[in-house]
Amino acid sequence: MRRYASLIALCIGLVFNPAQAEQLPQRWVSAGGALSEWIVELGAESRLVGVDTTSQHPQSLKALPSIGYQRQLSAEGVLSLRPDVLVGTEEMGPPPVLAQIRGAKVRVELFSSQADLEAVHGNLKHLGELLGKPEQAEQRFVDYRQQLDALKAKVKAVQASAGAPGVILLVGHAGAKPMIAGKGTAGDWLIEQAGGRNLATNDGYKNFSTETLAALNPEVVVVSDRALTGDAALQALIKENPALAASRAVREKRLIDLDPTLLVGGLGPRLPASLQALAQAFYPAAKAQLAP
Amino acid sequence: MTRLVSPRTLFIALGLLCLLAVWLSLALGPVSLPLIDTLRVGLRLLGLPVNGDGLEQAELILGQIRLPRTLLGLAVGAVLALAGVAMQGLFRNPLADPGLVGVSSGAALGAAIAIVGSTWVGGVPEVFAPYLLSLCAFLGGLGVTALVYRLGSKEGQTSVATMLLAGIALTALASSAVGLFTYLADDATLRTLTFWNLGSLNGASYQRLWPLVLVATGVALWLPRRAEALNALLLGESEARHLGFEVEKLKRELVFCTALGVGAAVAAAGLIGFIGLVVPHLVRLLAGPDHRVLLPASLLAGASLLLFADLIARLALAPAELPIGIVTAFIGAPFFLYLLLRGRA
Repeated sequence: MRRYASLIALCIGLVFNPAQAEQLPQRWVSAGGALSEWIVELGAESRLVGVDTTSQHPQSLKALPSIGYQRQLSAEGVLSLRPDVLVGTEEMGPPPVLAQIRGAKVRVELFSSQADLEAVHGNLKHLGELLGKPEQAEQRFVDYRQQLDALKAKVKAVQASAGAPGVILLVGHAGAKPMIAGKGTAGDWLIEQAGGRNLATNDGYKNFSTETLAALNPEVVVVSDRALTGDAALQALIKENPALAASRAVREKRLIDLDPTLLVGGLGPRLPASLQALAQAFYPAAKAQLAP
Repeated sequence: MTRLVSPRTLFIALGLLCLLAVWLSLALGPVSLPLIDTLRVGLRLLGLPVNGDGLEQAELILGQIRLPRTLLGLAVGAVLALAGVAMQGLFRNPLADPGLVGVSSGAALGAAIAIVGSTWVGGVPEVFAPYLLSLCAFLGGLGVTALVYRLGSKEGQTSVATMLLAGIALTALASSAVGLFTYLADDATLRTLTFWNLGSLNGASYQRLWPLVLVATGVALWLPRRAEALNALLLGESEARHLGFEVEKLKRELVFCTALGVGAAVAAAGLIGFIGLVVPHLVRLLAGPDHRVLLPASLLAGASLLLFADLIARLALAPAELPIGIVTAFIGAPFFLYLLLRGRA
């Protein structure tokens, strides 16, 4: 039955679009969280035959065969999925394995993992071409930029009347020994876009002493925890870091949890909605004004 | 110490085991190839005129992926086990392993410098990048070992005890330097470093294989010629000297061999623990402490064990892959314990 169905589908494809049906890659392996999300977003989830461990979203991707961590791919493992194309960011590797995969005549397409709009545009354009949906991809980018621009304008308007809150973003596991997101991290970028002021001045993600944490006295704490979400994460965090308990953020109950998969592998399609929520949490008084 | 099997039986058994390991390593993988294709490609790779129609995929997988990987596994396993024998002979202690003279921690430090350092200077030239890590690991291992040896030597005499302690001190020093690099590394570099420390035969290619094969062949040909001297050393240094062996020269050669061999193995495949410690021990439990048997038997056993571990590494989670260092310890340690307890009962 399935064989007939695919045969019919193939015939329809050949009749309507003979040139493209031959050239476009049909079996995709994706080694990048944000890329996988964009592929799904562009309606091509059915073409994915394997994903890496950073592809955590949407949940349905977890049912696909896992090719392991994007930097430690195995040539034979990827080839066993008989892909037409392997997509990933410049973080994908190791290089000798990519060379072996290319040697097996599988297309290896590289994308950018930079956290900026230009990279998103380039990636979507490239994906659109590979999927045979250039217009849809372009349209999706225009919407994406509009959403972000609109939010930016609104945040600016709100900031005219209210000062930017001092924020720290903690990345942790079950509340223990959180790392703080410093300059140049995706977390830093998120805080700034949502209209907050990142109080951390270190570079990258670093462990912090509790004293320093207390001295920063943040107004808002954003928690991105892989093991715990919601209230449980916040309770655990305060229990592990008593210094935080005296901060303004805890006294005023301004702890926000953020999906940790947002911070990996470039800007994904869920970003505008998350930024929106963050901005609303940063400026509770202007919640309605910041709504879409 | 008694022996359980005669050397003859042991060599036949280990030889067959090694052949089986090589065959399985070529025949099995995440891509399942029909047995007949594997055989045909195998014959073609040996240079026989077999019709190659429809075999492009199989030929690529066997010739470009599995064969270099198998050769790498053979060389790494053999050289690590031989270095283990050399170190246990030198220190006259079955708990000695190649890490004792600092070669592993030195290589780890070299690798950390290469991985973390290259992101600081903003990347290295394209042609050089693939070899930087291997080169730094190799030089790191050699450098730290040379330092350990120098610290243990005084007026032409090498004190094994001083060398042991110097090795422990420098290992601690190198580990803390690696720790510092770990702290300074960003998230992605950290993952690379962690994976390197667990070892892998993934991505083996002929270009990167030949330095190790050269070194491994050298060590494998040279070490067995010192079997008599190692046997004499078992009795004690002065006894060996009285028996007419040049003990100082032997010590120097053993350290050099280990540094060179393990350095090259680690540079090619990352840190793979356990083989160097346990394989010689295992063989000794089976066949007694005679180095004339111990050296070649450890070579075969080390190579086989590593290939079997690699099979598990690539098949257990296919299409993803496990780092081989996890597997060697996971299957080796319980087996080792079993032999140890059985020997005692």
